[in-house]
Amino acid sequence: MQRRTLLKAFSLAAAAGLYLPLPLSAQTAATPRRGGVLKLALLGLDTADPHRHSGSIAVQQVYVETLTSIGDDGTAKPFLAERFEVSEDGKTYTFHLRNNVRFHNGRVMTAKDVQANLERVRDKVKSGWLSGAMKMVQSMDSSDPATLRVVMSETYAPFLSLLSELWIVAPESEGWDTTIRKPIGTGPFTFGQWQPNVRFSAPAFKQYWQAGLPYLDAVEFDLRGEQDNSLSLRAGDIDVAYVRSDKIAALRGDKVDVQFLGDTAWYFLSFNNRKPRALMQDPRVRQAIALAVDKRSYMNFIGGSDALTSNQPVRPKSFYWDEAIEARDLYAKPDLDKARSLLQAAGVDPTQQTLKVISWQNDYAQVAVQMVRQLGFKIDHQALDDIGAQRALSAYDWDLAPFNSGPRADVYLRYARLLSDGPSPMLWGGIQDKELDTLIASAVASPNPTLARQRYLDAWQHVLDKLYTVGIGHASDVIGVAARVRGYRTGFTWSQNRVDGGLARTWIAA
Amino acid sequence: MSSHSASIMSAPQRPAPRFRLHWLAYGVVGLSLLVAVFGAALLTQDPLAQNLLARNLGPSAAHWLGTDSFGRDIAARLVAGTRLTLVVAFLASLLALLGGAGLGLIGCIVGGKTRALVYAGFDIVRTMPPILLSLALMVALGVGTSSVILAVGIAFMPLFAYVARAVYEREMASGYVAAAKVIGAGPWAIACRHVLPNMLGAMLTQVAIVLPRAVTTESVLSFFGLGVAPEVPTWGRIIATSVEFAEQAPTSLLFPVLALALLTLSLAVVGDRVRMHLDPLRAERQETAHA
Repeated sequence: MQRRTLLKAFSLAAAAGLYLPLPLSAQTAATPRRGGVLKLALLGLDTADPHRHSGSIAVQQVYVETLTSIGDDGTAKPFLAERFEVSEDGKTYTFHLRNNVRFHNGRVMTAKDVQANLERVRDKVKSGWLSGAMKMVQSMDSSDPATLRVVMSETYAPFLSLLSELWIVAPESEGWDTTIRKPIGTGPFTFGQWQPNVRFSAPAFKQYWQAGLPYLDAVEFDLRGEQDNSLSLRAGDIDVAYVRSDKIAALRGDKVDVQFLGDTAWYFLSFNNRKPRALMQDPRVRQAIALAVDKRSYMNFIGGSDALTSNQPVRPKSFYWDEAIEARDLYAKPDLDKARSLLQAAGVDPTQQTLKVISWQNDYAQVAVQMVRQLGFKIDHQALDDIGAQRALSAYDWDLAPFNSGPRADVYLRYARLLSDGPSPMLWGGIQDKELDTLIASAVASPNPTLARQRYLDAWQHVLDKLYTVGIGHASDVIGVAARVRGYRTGFTWSQNRVDGGLARTWIAA
Repeated sequence: MSSHSASIMSAPQRPAPRFRLHWLAYGVVGLSLLVAVFGAALLTQDPLAQNLLARNLGPSAAHWLGTDSFGRDIAARLVAGTRLTLVVAFLASLLALLGGAGLGLIGCIVGGKTRALVYAGFDIVRTMPPILLSLALMVALGVGTSSVILAVGIAFMPLFAYVARAVYEREMASGYVAAAKVIGAGPWAIACRHVLPNMLGAMLTQVAIVLPRAVTTESVLSFFGLGVAPEVPTWGRIIATSVEFAEQAPTSLLFPVLALALLTLSLAVVGDRVRMHLDPLRAERQETAHA
């Protein structure tokens, strides 16, 4: 047979789907391989006590688990609970627990353990949206070891989603009565060695309730925080890492897989709403600043053409987003001339004013600063680390704050910090607005999603009318995955262990 | 010994051609000072202006040294950064001089426990390398230009204090001081009229030595994000911004690094020349050698 004829035959066979037998390595690629240590560099771990965390959930999900889990579609699904039922009035939740779940000390998890965790969050944790939600719990019944019934004092729509961040820990864990130092969880990996801000290692749990999982011997997290992980990924020193979007091309060039989180990070520019100085109380000044922001350029800088502009806190085209509100955005496009006219009408000479800006050390804050500076304002910009920024923001002696808020398990978590008594409200300038509180409360208490959507949108329209914050846009966080990693898939949030994926199903190719 | 090496040993000693490195150093320092003073007037581009459509560009007619990751002109930022970097380094050195030499001298004049206490303090400060100490101080003081000056200044104070003590003791042992004591001059009068003027040369030498180190320390602080606001162009900030894009835009990193290396090397050479000129012991040694 001539070479050309042979090639033609192969081509025809390929076109017909009659592929030749694959090489051995390719055949075995689909068969999970056991063993190995996966190295990750995602976000940090701020405490060993899962009920007191205030930072990322990226690390602790591997050793502690929850009743529910946010699925790829963004909805709450059963996880440690095999199934759950919600009463007609939305006040009674019945969780049917899996019967084969063991804690890392070998003891079987019961409904009483779960109840103890919910009570600990309610009674021992002072702030946070979880403790706020738990305060609405009227009663709990765990008389059946496999069933937990929770009765709420009022309808609370985000409850199931929030439970995806209420980790179940064995009450015999060290420090249970104060601060847990060595959590005994149920996750596919156990709480191993933790060096704060340096590294965390978690060996595999051999009695994990999902039979045959995990495939890995251990996972190791690099906790050194904000750094460029792309070179480590390309060099093979790290297997899974958070990377900046401007590194995507370089990563793909070196055959590193690039994945995006399901939910987006929301970017915004907040005003100081709790103690605004006289200048910033004038709505025309706020409008002028909003008109100085070129949202498209801003989001291009952050996430390229994939990033989306929006004046709303949820991703465009998603359920709680509204096209009409977007269409009415007065600040959709920059208009420096109009902005200057507004300042002039307000009798403000920007060259005589210094605006104090607080931000993290992200590059995009410099873009925000320069856009506002175009109006002629002098800028006193303080770029700080997370704790420094929180401290500076809490003092409320600033004017502007360009920040972002990562993916959230529930739309309520986008709104919770806009409440007068919301947790960590600094990023949005510490809004104190009873009318807004009522609107958000009515959304939370809505008996169905359609009504909840309308009420959330009413609340957001109120935020826009008051110009508490300028919504700029959305971009997905990026995770690089080395070529040798198999079975890893990002989820809707940062969680690394979910009902439909995560590190339990991840393995390393030979 | 081989014949070859023997021939070398026996070859007539000719003076090696000497490259006048210090003239090049004078040139670099002089040029930097000129840029720091008059650079702003020469700028045709705003060092803060961003062009997000022209990020990480290489050198061109429009941008002689290219652009950074914000589309800012690197040449304009280097020129603007020269002034801030040098001003911070000069002021920090001046603070170190006044604080170190001043406190040291007061401790020496008062003597006793005060002197022991003052120098114990300097010993404690000296136990940490200046860069590490500056980093720790910046965390405590918070970000900002004045904090940088304070942190770098404090870190280098012991260097001046030790020299002040050495000069003070040397001068106090001299004959003219003994004569001044005989005619009734008090310790403060002796220090002000006799010791201080003689300390000037040694202090100038020390400033010349500390200055390049202050430039480097300020750059390190800025590099770590602990200095001035992130968009403000100091050399450390420019390098920190460019280092993450070294692969895409190597020239955006190369030029600021070259500038920093050249200036610190030149300042070190100039400092060495100043020391040579002002060191009286060296002058004595040279005279002895010539004799």
